[in-house]
Amino acid sequence: MADYRKMWEDLGMDVEMHDQLCAVLPQAFGDVYLSQENRPEGMDYYNMVVADIHGIRPAELIEHQKKGGKVFGTFCVYVPDEIVFAADAIATGLCGGSQFWVPGGEKVLPKNTCPLIKASVGARLDRTCPFFRIADMYVGETTCDGKKKAWEILGEDVPVHVMDLPQMKRAKDIKAWAEEIAEFKNVVEEFTGNSVTAEKLAESIKLINGKRKALERLYETRKNDTLPISGCDALLISQIAFYDDPGRFTQMTNALCDELEQRIKDGVSVVPAGTKRIMLTGTPLAIPNWKLHNIVETSGGAVVCEEMCTGTRYFENLVDETKTTVEEQITALAERYMNINCACFTPNEGRIDDILRLAKEYKVDGIIDVNLKFCNLYDTEGYLVERALKEAGIPVLGIETDYTDSDAQQLRTRVSAFIEMLNN
Amino acid sequence: MPKIQHYVLFPNHDNGMRLYKELKKLGVRATIAPTPRAASKCCGISLLIEEKDIDTIQACIDEHGIEILKIAAIERDINPKRDRYC
Repeated sequence: MADYRKMWEDLGMDVEMHDQLCAVLPQAFGDVYLSQENRPEGMDYYNMVVADIHGIRPAELIEHQKKGGKVFGTFCVYVPDEIVFAADAIATGLCGGSQFWVPGGEKVLPKNTCPLIKASVGARLDRTCPFFRIADMYVGETTCDGKKKAWEILGEDVPVHVMDLPQMKRAKDIKAWAEEIAEFKNVVEEFTGNSVTAEKLAESIKLINGKRKALERLYETRKNDTLPISGCDALLISQIAFYDDPGRFTQMTNALCDELEQRIKDGVSVVPAGTKRIMLTGTPLAIPNWKLHNIVETSGGAVVCEEMCTGTRYFENLVDETKTTVEEQITALAERYMNINCACFTPNEGRIDDILRLAKEYKVDGIIDVNLKFCNLYDTEGYLVERALKEAGIPVLGIETDYTDSDAQQLRTRVSAFIEMLNN
Repeated sequence: MPKIQHYVLFPNHDNGMRLYKELKKLGVRATIAPTPRAASKCCGISLLIEEKDIDTIQACIDEHGIEILKIAAIERDINPKRDRYC
């Protein structure tokens, strides 16, 4: 399958270096996904997306650009995709989940930067990610210090718009975020030449809410004692949600949910009864970061929920669809997005409430609080999270990791011991 | 688990999806997967199939004029505890 090589060359990618990533993806995917027994057939769609992740969707984005459309690359669940789609543009996630990209980032960033940021910058500077090459504009935010400085580096050759996310949740902060969204709308309108009307925004709010509802339905199936889908598979779906066409993603995820709901009725589970149910909480797991899920699920556990940006933070809470003016819609967007509980906020009790609630809803036996190395915010908040969990009588294991394989055996030992403890 | 696995390789994604859909209609199981490096140096999708279905699949390919590169037989190399991620 070499027909994307020319596209990558035309994008100015380092095709030889990119080939090193192509070389390792099939084996990692095979180990994590093709090793599973009794996977839902509906996962074939997501297999296809990941198998050609640097081919199919980038080609669609390029087609969109040929018709005069713009593509916005985003990094964070706080950036309102609704504004972008309302201007007939496309929002897409960017690369950042592989160790392959980290050394490129370390050429310009301190080594004690989180791997997500190092990988993103490396993917851009090494020219090994088509999404970074395609995006006409990157949209950053102020969710951590590492990112704030990274935008300045990335902005040297591609326009970057940074949204200033408030760090508290007072009424005036929600108002400030609404103003940021309004300013973002102006930037998008000017950049695309298209107006964001109330009608267009209402359509895109429905579109993105549709995606959220599909993900919520997927997660709902994971609350059952009969677990119809593995955590690895659910993670893959969450990861792909950031890249795929939202309408198609919603359709395919709802089709998968039909199958999963039927599995529940038929009593078809992917794990034996009594398998310990694990929730992961913490920093995001960008594609193709499947390490921890795979370790948990090959150590006798099942991941049933992720309180993460690649998880519940991405889809919980809908935008109010009843508003009819752009101003009201922007307020509704601000209210919805400010409901996400990221560790960049102070105080952030809402996140602890979320974790405790989710632990009940998903009938969790134990929680792994996972932090990417050098993510100071989540690492520090881990103290309060883990204390609250212990007080609630929920077993918790704190883990710090990165994208390398070097700690996998150690993690396997710790996770196995944790699950064994839950079994006793 | 068979020691040898069979993958259908394609010149492009469209032909892969065409065959996948036709096999679905026939009730033949095929799993979409990244092309294993041992089968080809190219990125992209392949279909993981069962050896017993090869004749049916070849007939389907011929009937619908689907372009494939080959059906590759490679040694099964899947180990969920290998811990080599990407």
